Amino acid sequence: MAQSMAYNASAGLSGMLKKGHQSFSGLTDATLRNVEACREISTVTRTSLGPNGMNKLVVNHLGRIIVTSDCCAIVKELEIEHPAAKMLQMAAEAQDFECGDGTNLVVSFAGELLSQTEDLFRMGLHPADVVSGYSSAGEKLLEFLEEMTSEVEGVADGRMKEQLERAIRPVLAAKQLGSEDVLAPLVAEACLGTMSSGGKAAVNVESVRVAKILGGNIHQSHVVHGFVALRGVEMTLTSCENAKIAVFSCGIEASATEAKGTVLMKNAEDLKSYNKSEEKKMEEVIKSIADSGVKVIVSGGSVSEMALHFIERYGMLCLKIGSKWELRRLCVATGSTALVRMGAPTPDEMGWCDDVKQIEVGGKPVTVFNQKDDSGKSKLSTIVLRASTSSVLADLERAIDDGVHAANTACKDGRLVPGAGATEMELSLKIIAFADTCPGLDQYAIRAFGKALEVVPRTLAENAGLDQGSVLAALGAAHASGKKSAGIDIDAMGVATATGIKDETNVLDLYATKSTAFRLAIDAALTVLRVDQIIMSKQAGGGRNAAMDPMAGM
Amino acid sequence: MNPYGMRPGIILLREGTDTSQGKAQLISNINACQAISDAIRTTLGPRGMDKLISSGRSVTISNDGATIMKLLEIEHPAAKTLVDISMSQDAEVGDGTTTVVLLAVEILKQMKPFVEEGVHPQILMRSIRDASMLAVKKVEELKVTFDKDSDQFKDMLLKTASTALNSKLISSHQDLFAPMIVDAVSSLDGSLEDLRGMIAIKKIPGGDVRQSFLVKGGVAFKKTFSYAGFEQMTKSFKNPKILLLNVELELKNEKDNAEVRIENPEEYQSIVEAEWQVIYDKLDACVDCGANIVLSKLPIGDLATQYFADRGLFCAGRVEEGDMRRVAKATGAAVQTSTNGIYEGVLGTCAEFEEKRMGDETFNVFTGCPCSQTSTMVLRGGTEQFIAESERSVHDSLMVVKRSLMSRSVVAGGGAVEMEVARHLREHALTIEGKGQLIVNAFAKALEIVPRQLCENAGFDPNDILSALRRKHAQDEDGKWFGVDIENGDMMDTFEAGVWEPSDNKSNSFASAAEAANVILSIDETVINPRSQDPGAATGMMGAPQGGMGQKPLSNMMGGAMDAVNAAKGGSRSGNLGNGVSYLKGRGGG
Repeated sequence: MAQSMAYNASAGLSGMLKKGHQSFSGLTDATLRNVEACREISTVTRTSLGPNGMNKLVVNHLGRIIVTSDCCAIVKELEIEHPAAKMLQMAAEAQDFECGDGTNLVVSFAGELLSQTEDLFRMGLHPADVVSGYSSAGEKLLEFLEEMTSEVEGVADGRMKEQLERAIRPVLAAKQLGSEDVLAPLVAEACLGTMSSGGKAAVNVESVRVAKILGGNIHQSHVVHGFVALRGVEMTLTSCENAKIAVFSCGIEASATEAKGTVLMKNAEDLKSYNKSEEKKMEEVIKSIADSGVKVIVSGGSVSEMALHFIERYGMLCLKIGSKWELRRLCVATGSTALVRMGAPTPDEMGWCDDVKQIEVGGKPVTVFNQKDDSGKSKLSTIVLRASTSSVLADLERAIDDGVHAANTACKDGRLVPGAGATEMELSLKIIAFADTCPGLDQYAIRAFGKALEVVPRTLAENAGLDQGSVLAALGAAHASGKKSAGIDIDAMGVATATGIKDETNVLDLYATKSTAFRLAIDAALTVLRVDQIIMSKQAGGGRNAAMDPMAGM
Repeated sequence: MNPYGMRPGIILLREGTDTSQGKAQLISNINACQAISDAIRTTLGPRGMDKLISSGRSVTISNDGATIMKLLEIEHPAAKTLVDISMSQDAEVGDGTTTVVLLAVEILKQMKPFVEEGVHPQILMRSIRDASMLAVKKVEELKVTFDKDSDQFKDMLLKTASTALNSKLISSHQDLFAPMIVDAVSSLDGSLEDLRGMIAIKKIPGGDVRQSFLVKGGVAFKKTFSYAGFEQMTKSFKNPKILLLNVELELKNEKDNAEVRIENPEEYQSIVEAEWQVIYDKLDACVDCGANIVLSKLPIGDLATQYFADRGLFCAGRVEEGDMRRVAKATGAAVQTSTNGIYEGVLGTCAEFEEKRMGDETFNVFTGCPCSQTSTMVLRGGTEQFIAESERSVHDSLMVVKRSLMSRSVVAGGGAVEMEVARHLREHALTIEGKGQLIVNAFAKALEIVPRQLCENAGFDPNDILSALRRKHAQDEDGKWFGVDIENGDMMDTFEAGVWEPSDNKSNSFASAAEAANVILSIDETVINPRSQDPGAATGMMGAPQGGMGQKPLSNMMGGAMDAVNAAKGGSRSGNLGNGVSYLKGRGGG
């Protein structure tokens, strides 16, 4: 490290800064290093692109095992140290936040854009030329992309189950190939269940929850229009229909004083009545709740045995839910208001549920709050997921999250573009054609940009075990002859005679997802390219530091 | 490698992060899984052997796959998937936990040559998925369904129960246990939800296995700790009224935060009397409601015991929560947390209550309960480990009977259904174009591990029997139920012989095994981040010379890394099977 410092840091700069800092500047030391780091990260994630993408097994710092092909989850768990590579991570996270799907497109495309620059720099282009070429190509790209939406029919009405499924299915297929036929109807049903009856169709991403229960298989998964708590009720009674629900965020027990207090008794009578009065008080409270018509009590805290005794006596159900978040979701599902004090709720504060019951799933008791179909009462849907390994369950949950995001996006902007690499191939050809019309040096950068777009069809073919060279050539030929929605046919894998492309792909991607992904990828790549100097101050933490030199290496 | 000169490599990830990727990584994951299955494969079937696992001070002897997998404390991240499927099979079906692991690993093992030849894992996964779906469908076709009201129905339950027991420690006593188990499950009146809660299994060390018994539709629990006056109590009732309490019947301070201050010494006596009065009030309430039997979760003291004995009542304190719940369920009583406001409705009843002596233990037994949705099974046996294993066996068998009761359909065991499904897959494979054909064939071969292992464990030559079986299944229309004959080292119609398993068991195993195999095949890169609370792991990683890693227990979590190193040193599977123990936490073997 000492050697690299002496070599890199100029005397002027090191004189100004605190000892132990590092500084890198210039094309070779800063820009190319950043490019290289980004390329590294995108080679890691690229094999996870598309339906045939492979999974990564990541053991995170807490020892949790994550098996996933979801790019955002991978880069998040990888604990990336390199500052430039971190930018790709942040871009992926932004994409995940906005659209759920398409995170891998962001990282792969940005990585490919950057690795194309290596050749450009070698040709002698200045980073500024590359930046200007990439940004003008980026603008054109988004224009061309919008034109592509006329190729296929979009999602016109988010309330139609078939139409919604059309948007969700490819997203799920990209994460969980083979399960999309099971999952897509589930996600669509769950989303439709939460839509309010009036106004424009809209899906709130928060309103579709997933309850994961180990065991069984994916075909046993189903949708509950309401809430599922992963624990049983506290009572001997286990089911209740058409129930009014009171939700307490506090515990149901005799209130204790915060300050230390001692009850002083003066005579024998006091002693005798002391306990009775406490019991009486509890009975009064529970009775008043029962009298208001409540049949189910949900508590966010502990429920004392005395309270349970009276709840049992007045024939009500009682359920404890530990997490505040879960409690809030239950409130949303049943339309109740959480009370902070014990006492009878007003009619406004009470919730309603058509069917509350405890059932056994996979050997565990769960409590299901189900609203009858199409009642429109529940603003929350829960998908009960079954699978036999916890890593599959977690990955299915991520896929469903993306699916719900897709439904959300489809309701906002239902335009679709052809998927399976068709759009990218078409755009690539158009951008390269556009490059020929540009006079300046940035022509080379624009052409490289067009070339970079090929990364999607190429990777799809590669991951599907196809011969990427011949497939890409066939695909290019198809597009040149005007078949704008020709895409990779992943079903061809393992069959020697297939060409590997399909003239009319049935895979459709959401326009909004794709355009956001392109925009984020271009932004991230440009940000990395604009950096010409890296200055890192000495990391706090003493001894660890020597080994933690992220640039110099082991 | 690097076109830009002599700069050292770029560190992308955190210090101490271990990554491995590519074919070697996948092969090493498969090898780790094989090591696990080698540890448990010998437990399969009626002739399977048991494993003794000592963890800390407790010793477990078991041949239940799920139990062993749990106790092995597997650290290898990919192999942990196997623990998961074993657990989920346990939760879902109860039995077949060894089978599912064996199947998953065998599928992987059959796929290994393809991986080595460079077939893309996605192609393998797709074919495995298709094959497993076909297998499940075939099981659906093959299964034999019984009508719930037919005479054979009970017979079917009995056969599935004894088949499940067959492979267990108490297999020689299945004539005793199988009817007991069927009786216990059928006593639940179809409410099978809370099987574990409603059928109590009581373990009483000592005595003989054959002294185990079932209290059908009733509750039994060991006599609780008793106070003076217990001997005088009436110990048997006909149609008693039963009161269940969650109240301490003893003289005691009512509340911690209460304090009595008196100004007048004369009042002192009145305070003492008041305390007595409080407990007498409680006792009176219990007696006045007309109860004959008082049970409490909390202690019932000397005074109360004496008081109840004088009035001809029976009482027991410190009854376990589960027992309490079962008594409540069976007798229709409601547990009371207060003695105030007891009314007729909260009392339960049963036909007969009795304190019985069995062997050297005394039991409180409630029989002829009106609501009767519970049963109690009392297991006897020589040693603690023996009874613990008996309990697991009985539990597995209970779950199997429950499954059969719910699905009402069975298939023949003894490897018959696997052979038939394998035959079906092989036939189907011929119609597949491309690589899928070979993979489906390999999957079919993987299914044969079940009969193969059964033979092997029984000490017969698996090749002879397997080839005979294959021939039988291929040629004979009626040969579909032919499986391994453990007794004679031959094949036989296992359906005829009464080796029946619930069809759900098999379809679940096939689906889970394929799913687990797919999870492992789908991984193309393993990244292990250093543990945050465990800085030693990171530095250990850094400092340790490559060869020395195997000895350190800490580096075991780097199983993947070790394997990669092994693979790099020469031969893709060098020594992995031999030192399989290194995938586990440092125990066993050494």
